[in-house]
Amino acid sequence: MPWKLLWRNVLGHPVRSLLTVGAVAVAVFLVCVLDAVTSGLTRTLNAASANRLLVQSAVSLFVDLPLSYQQKMASVPGIEAICKWQWFGGRYEQDKGGFFAQFGIDADTFLPSYPEMKITRGSYDDFTKQRTACCVGDELADKYGWQVGQTVPIMGTIFERTDGRPWEFTIAAIYHSDSPAVDNQTMWFQFDYLRESLEQGGAEGPLGVGVYMLRMAPGTDPVAVQQAVDAMFENGPQRVQTTTEAEFNRQFISMLGDVPTLLRLIGGAVLFAIFFAVLNTMLMAGRERTRDLGVMKALGFTDRATGILLVAESLLLCGLGAGVGIGLGLLAEAPFAVATAAFLPGFGFDERTLLLGAGIAVVVGVVAGVLPGRRAARLTAIAALREVG
Amino acid sequence: MAEAIQLRSVTKAYQRAGESLRVLDELELTMAGGTFYALMGPSGSGKTTLLNLVGGLDHADSGTVMVGSVDLTQLDGSELAAWRAGNVGFVFQGFNLLPVLTARENVELPLQLTPLSRRQRRAQAERALQLVGLGDRMDHKPSELSGGQEQRVAIARAIATDPQVILADEPTGDLDRSTAAAVLQLLQRLNRELGKTILMVTHDPQAADYADKVIHLDKGKLGRIDANPGRG
Ligand SMILES: Nc1ncnc2c1ncn2[C@@H]1O[C@H](COP(=O)(O)OP(=O)(O)OP(=O)(O)O)[C@@H](O)[C@H]1O
Ligand SMILES: [Mg+2]
Repeated sequence: MPWKLLWRNVLGHPVRSLLTVGAVAVAVFLVCVLDAVTSGLTRTLNAASANRLLVQSAVSLFVDLPLSYQQKMASVPGIEAICKWQWFGGRYEQDKGGFFAQFGIDADTFLPSYPEMKITRGSYDDFTKQRTACCVGDELADKYGWQVGQTVPIMGTIFERTDGRPWEFTIAAIYHSDSPAVDNQTMWFQFDYLRESLEQGGAEGPLGVGVYMLRMAPGTDPVAVQQAVDAMFENGPQRVQTTTEAEFNRQFISMLGDVPTLLRLIGGAVLFAIFFAVLNTMLMAGRERTRDLGVMKALGFTDRATGILLVAESLLLCGLGAGVGIGLGLLAEAPFAVATAAFLPGFGFDERTLLLGAGIAVVVGVVAGVLPGRRAARLTAIAALREVG
Repeated sequence: MAEAIQLRSVTKAYQRAGESLRVLDELELTMAGGTFYALMGPSGSGKTTLLNLVGGLDHADSGTVMVGSVDLTQLDGSELAAWRAGNVGFVFQGFNLLPVLTARENVELPLQLTPLSRRQRRAQAERALQLVGLGDRMDHKPSELSGGQEQRVAIARAIATDPQVILADEPTGDLDRSTAAAVLQLLQRLNRELGKTILMVTHDPQAADYADKVIHLDKGKLGRIDANPGRG
């Protein structure tokens, strides 16, 4: 096989080749990112625990539930522990452009209900004992250079302190989670601190609970608990919706629409477009090389060899594109993962994603090369040489 | 002794608009090995068709085409391709070099079909280019060469695999007179010094003068075969 000819043909049209390689690169990059998002979502859903249920307002996630519900739900058989979750929505004074989530939670039941989390620095005991303490993810701590014992000022937006000053949370523990069920960029603090401040007039804002987490005892039928809790508040004052953690995550994600299907559609459309771009390039290349192909056949190259030459050229363009696209993807992976950690903790390229990118390039390369390759193979030397005189 | 070429009762017809056009009609022709033939005849008389049959680029409808001891009419497409690679060199009117390859690489191209090593291929291509007087132009692209130089590269490519038969279809058709003379002298040398059998189509009687013998073709039938006076 005249491989040198292959290279020279590609380099002979630098602009066209570059554009084609660039188009394939962008497509492969895009498909890899889309796939990483989709599989990130799936990973997050799959990591959801089966023994945790979440109770939210039947109206909307943004409507609070009364504090009194906790006591009532505690009587439902099978519930082992209850933990409040309240969205705080504060702003870190030192990084006004940045964002991370803060939640008020019940310190005593929180960590035991989330065994995915491991305390890596400080102590969870200190966190439970100190009203103003907080527990932060290691990625967050590393991002801002926080140490255990340090105080973090957070300006309230939903819950504003009456003295106009930021809230101050002292870091008592730093955690790490290997599971996408819990991300590593969240700040947890004691719900009781928030409640006391609101009750004693130190702060202003709605006193309620966004979500109750129910931990079930092993062997409990989640459906029975779900039905019991939902029925309990059937007649108000606030109707609730109880879901499994996986279902809760799914609903949270689907607030954005059916993301995975949408992403797959986009990916498919991108592939379709790129296929025609490569096919167009290869048909042009095959046509303008009619005479070259005729000469090669006269010299004794077989129909097969000349056909393969065009398929190989198509593969080469797509392969180069895939290489660049995957390279870009790998470069973008870390910053992308950090940027999306709060709502998509599972984002990341695995081997499957990269294989998908490479596989797409191979398939597009072969398919787009087959048509011009077949034409090249069928061409006779006489016809090719006559065509151009 | 180079290989002789024998056409026995060769017929070739083309279908056009439902009509069958007999380009070669029961043609009988014997050419001796090691001889330089010029093939002349009016336009459309079937010269290129004949050349393509002898070169294994096309199939006869009937009859036999023997080159040496091989009957080309018995070979299928890929067998013909393999036969061409080792036994025949083509020179076309339009030079037909691959534009993206250098002179050396163009000459090396047919050698890729041989079992020669990379280094041997390179050496052989350089030898062929030196033979045609282009030892100093090996790394030039066709676009950087004159028409006469391009045609000499094409001749170097035709002899690179050392075939016994060289087929040339109006090799000087696109060249001016003095450049054409150099190319014709080169073909003559290949015949005289290397013993190649050459069949050259030409319209130009002056070009035909370089050949040992001139074959006249008219309407698919053989006319006379002249021995060039003072040659052969
Ligand atoms: N593929 C084809 N289909 C139909 N007719 C063809 C084909 N190839 C050649 N012919 C016809 O066969 C006849 C002989 O063609 P050929 O090319 O052999 O002539 P030639 O002697 O080489 O002419 P010229 O001197 O113009 O090159 C012509 O009438 C030509 O039109
Ligand atoms: Mg002709």
